[in-house]
Amino acid sequence: MTSSAMSGPVPHMPGAAAPPPAKSSTEGRSWLSALLFLLPTGLLLGVFLVYPTIYTILLSFDRGRRGEFNKFLGLDNYVTLFTKDPNFIDFSQFPPSGALFNNILWLVFYTSIVIIFGLVIAVMASRVRYESIIKSVVFLPMAIAATALAVIWRFVYAPDAKTGLLNAVLDVVHVGPISWLGNPGFVNASLIAVGIWGSVGFATVILSAAIKSISAEIMEAARVDGANEIQIFRRIILPMVSLPISVLAVTLTVNVVKLFDLVYVMTLGGPGTSSRVIAFTMYQEAFPGGLFGKGAAVAVVMLIIMIPVMLFNIRRFRTESVT
Amino acid sequence: MSDSPEVPGGLVNREGPSTLSGRILERLNKTPIHIGLGIVAVIWLAPTIGLLVTSFRPRSDIQATGWWETINTLRFTTENYSSVLNAQGMLQAFVNNIIISVPSTILPLVIGSLAAYAFSWIKFPLRDTLFLTVIALMMIPAQVAFIPILQLFAQVGFTRNFMGIWLTHTAFALPFGIFLLRNFFITLPKDLIEAARIDGASRFGIFRTIVVPLSVPAIAAYGIFQFLWVWNDLLMALVFVQEPRNWPLTRQISTLLSQYGTEWNLLAAGAFLLMIVPLVVFFSLQRYFVQGLLAGSVK
Amino acid sequence: MMRISRFLALPIAAALILSACGTGASQAPATVAPGDTSAPTTAVTPEPGATITVTSLWGGSEQESFQKVLDAFTAKTGIIVNYESVRENYATALQTRITGGNPPDVAILPGIGFLRHFAKDGSIIKVADLGIDQASIAGNYAPGILDIGSVDGDLYAIMVKFNSKSTFWYRPEKLSAAGIAVPTDWDSFKAALAKLATGGTKPLGLGAADGWTLTDWFESIYVRQAGPEAYTKLFSADGDWSDPSVATAVTAMTDVLNETYVDGGINAALARGFVDGIGQAFSATATADMYYEGGFVGGIATGQVNTALTMGTDIDWFDFPAINGGDGVTIGGDVIAALTKNAGVKEFIEYMTTAEAGAVWAATGAIISPVKGVSADVYPSDQVKREAAQVANASAVRYDGSDLLPAGGPDLGAELQKALQGQAIDWASFQSQIQTAWSNE
Repeated sequence: MTSSAMSGPVPHMPGAAAPPPAKSSTEGRSWLSALLFLLPTGLLLGVFLVYPTIYTILLSFDRGRRGEFNKFLGLDNYVTLFTKDPNFIDFSQFPPSGALFNNILWLVFYTSIVIIFGLVIAVMASRVRYESIIKSVVFLPMAIAATALAVIWRFVYAPDAKTGLLNAVLDVVHVGPISWLGNPGFVNASLIAVGIWGSVGFATVILSAAIKSISAEIMEAARVDGANEIQIFRRIILPMVSLPISVLAVTLTVNVVKLFDLVYVMTLGGPGTSSRVIAFTMYQEAFPGGLFGKGAAVAVVMLIIMIPVMLFNIRRFRTESVT
Repeated sequence: MSDSPEVPGGLVNREGPSTLSGRILERLNKTPIHIGLGIVAVIWLAPTIGLLVTSFRPRSDIQATGWWETINTLRFTTENYSSVLNAQGMLQAFVNNIIISVPSTILPLVIGSLAAYAFSWIKFPLRDTLFLTVIALMMIPAQVAFIPILQLFAQVGFTRNFMGIWLTHTAFALPFGIFLLRNFFITLPKDLIEAARIDGASRFGIFRTIVVPLSVPAIAAYGIFQFLWVWNDLLMALVFVQEPRNWPLTRQISTLLSQYGTEWNLLAAGAFLLMIVPLVVFFSLQRYFVQGLLAGSVK
Repeated sequence: MMRISRFLALPIAAALILSACGTGASQAPATVAPGDTSAPTTAVTPEPGATITVTSLWGGSEQESFQKVLDAFTAKTGIIVNYESVRENYATALQTRITGGNPPDVAILPGIGFLRHFAKDGSIIKVADLGIDQASIAGNYAPGILDIGSVDGDLYAIMVKFNSKSTFWYRPEKLSAAGIAVPTDWDSFKAALAKLATGGTKPLGLGAADGWTLTDWFESIYVRQAGPEAYTKLFSADGDWSDPSVATAVTAMTDVLNETYVDGGINAALARGFVDGIGQAFSATATADMYYEGGFVGGIATGQVNTALTMGTDIDWFDFPAINGGDGVTIGGDVIAALTKNAGVKEFIEYMTTAEAGAVWAATGAIISPVKGVSADVYPSDQVKREAAQVANASAVRYDGSDLLPAGGPDLGAELQKALQGQAIDWASFQSQIQTAWSNE
């Protein structure tokens, strides 16, 4: 429902004697009152979002000592980031490594596994009477701070069998103990697992709502026609949840780009730099070394990655407004 | 759409088998689901419960046995919590959390709903374009703003107190809040508002007496969502809360972890202090909390 | 309507009340409660009751030792010192505060690379600009000490403490039980490790999550293997990291830091901090026999990790083994720098250059003081006296190398962590990155 339907006051009440005010003065007053309502927002957004974005973009083309403009470098910061900084991205060996690559790992595995688990749990839960309890249990980690999640899982991952839950379980079958966070080979997998654990509830709740909105008649008709559960899942449920899934995927992508707290608290990007992500890199590059220009470049890279997400949201809003 | 409020959209065959053997068969078919969900429940509860139990165990116990063996000894203590609250400064950090979170929730609520009202019920030129800009601004990562904002704050001393973090949280929360509240406001009954306009009510009067009271669920959902987001935040606090006496719980715990990496008694108690308020909110206001999260994603 | 006001009234009231208390003045910081512990015994300076903030990354027992110095300063001058401990990401937190216009008054800097960076940024006040005459304090130090804190010829920071990094800590009863004499060179050291390992437990503790502990291993080996002159060159802008001597030193490291000798294994070590590493050898449930790190280990072990230890009986140290006769000593130190010109800062910096302050700190046993006037008798234990003597009598003394490298350069500790796991280090890439960092300064 767009407000273009509201072109002027409609005299629907009986006895509304006063004629509608002249259009021009309505428009004039509208502009002024709109301004008052929007002024605090405009100020805050301008100062805290628009101005810094422009500043940071410009700073990324400069050396940026002390965060000020002192030496124009053109695209040098970006070139360095992508070719001479193996902690950011390293193409010299296969598979590539570096913070940017870690984000890609997160993007692929975290997003897909969260959605798959979310869907499976949503479907399973819908068949039982204690559905809402299951959904609450799985959703609980969403309320917990990433910092606390990090403590919980560092405890689970503790490298000895008396403290760490995982190693204790392995100990029962005489395996391990394994240092889940100390081995660069799979520290990222360990972290992604925690991320998945924290976000599946979100996907479950969304997909559960989407599944419930599927019309009962269609399901009945399909069953009557002899379709089995798997066919129903593939032909009916999946297409109907494709929109929520795409929205979910976008939200999870945003989470991946912004990922910081979990990595910072669990491993500080380590061991070494093997679990760094770009948000962490920005913090580390800009501040300890005072390489503000380079830090700004990392921030701009993050911004560029977000642009497709922005466009997706805008387009979604536009199509929704039309209906 | 569905025949009755109970039916979950037709996934369950409502008819159900009528014979005893039929019912038993159906139950058996569901056993893998029950097992699967049981495993899910264990995976999603065990870590948190493990830490909770640990926070009440004496230090010597933690070093000797795993928390799952507490069932044997049932020895509990609150000394971890008292230690963490007093000696490790967690009490101050807890208070800091409240000081940071409350204004950072109220400010965007107030400012955001004012703006959302303008975007929904006031007609002015460029409105749609501006609203699209707001949506686009939602996606700006905080990293982009750190350096210039820090420099701005340097000139007015906002990093020495809480002004810096309040304003930053508010500004970054606005785009999503405006988006959310505007989408709700436009569903309000047009007739009501227009009637008030005809009666000569001012725009602010309409906002205060009609729009806000009718929007309490949406405002509450956004408020809770924002409160928990700020309560749980670490990154903004790292950058903008610079006096150690002002540090919130997240930052304090992070420091604790780096210093006492295996003092699980302290870490567990500290982590739970951080989790208490969100968990209480979650259990008591779950409906609003879920609504807040869902609102931005699904229609 | 009403519901909303009530809904919001309580949190608003709470926030107002709490912020009134919270952001008020004179609140003790969360970590340490300093303050006027005793009345000043001498005439007060022109600013009684002034408060300054000092930051460092010390916590635990190191913090307690430093606090004694601060208390003595307050007792003498009436100036209150708020100590703020920033345990993790110290340089980042410091830079953030400087950019945010909120620097601490005084910062203790653990690295010279950071000193150079902050000095060239103009974030540090030159000592001369504080009103302190360099000539008047030069007499307090051996020649060369003040040069450590100088950048481009100007004195920016002054060394306040150091520890030897050539102290290898061990449990005497473990070695004597295995019938091993204290090793003096690398080969007898490796033989000792092998002999201890046959006893069923692995002898070495290691806290490799803190990459700087690995850089200390590397530096101790390199200065002995390649010699002090090569060491000086390597950690300067002329250094060549692709030189074979570097790889040789790393090989020597992994000869002893491997699955055979490290208690708990390498992967667990990479997830363990240095205090826990000390605990591996010295806690009540110790499993390892030896731990290598600087002279500060003694204080941390006895004061924090296991207060039941008796220095000399349960814990002692031997010189880091010589390699092919090379036995240069490395030290790690901290310098103090002023970031503001607030009242009390000048007095504090001056105080820290006196033998009086040095003696208070030295008496805690946590550090060695570079101030000449601090006599060796002040040190509380034989171990610390020996440490001071080791440095004083060394054939060559070198500053901790990784602390000299430019800030914003590649992380040597991270590379060594990779080496521990058997990954090959790309020294050519490291060299080009560090060259860039040097030239960017």
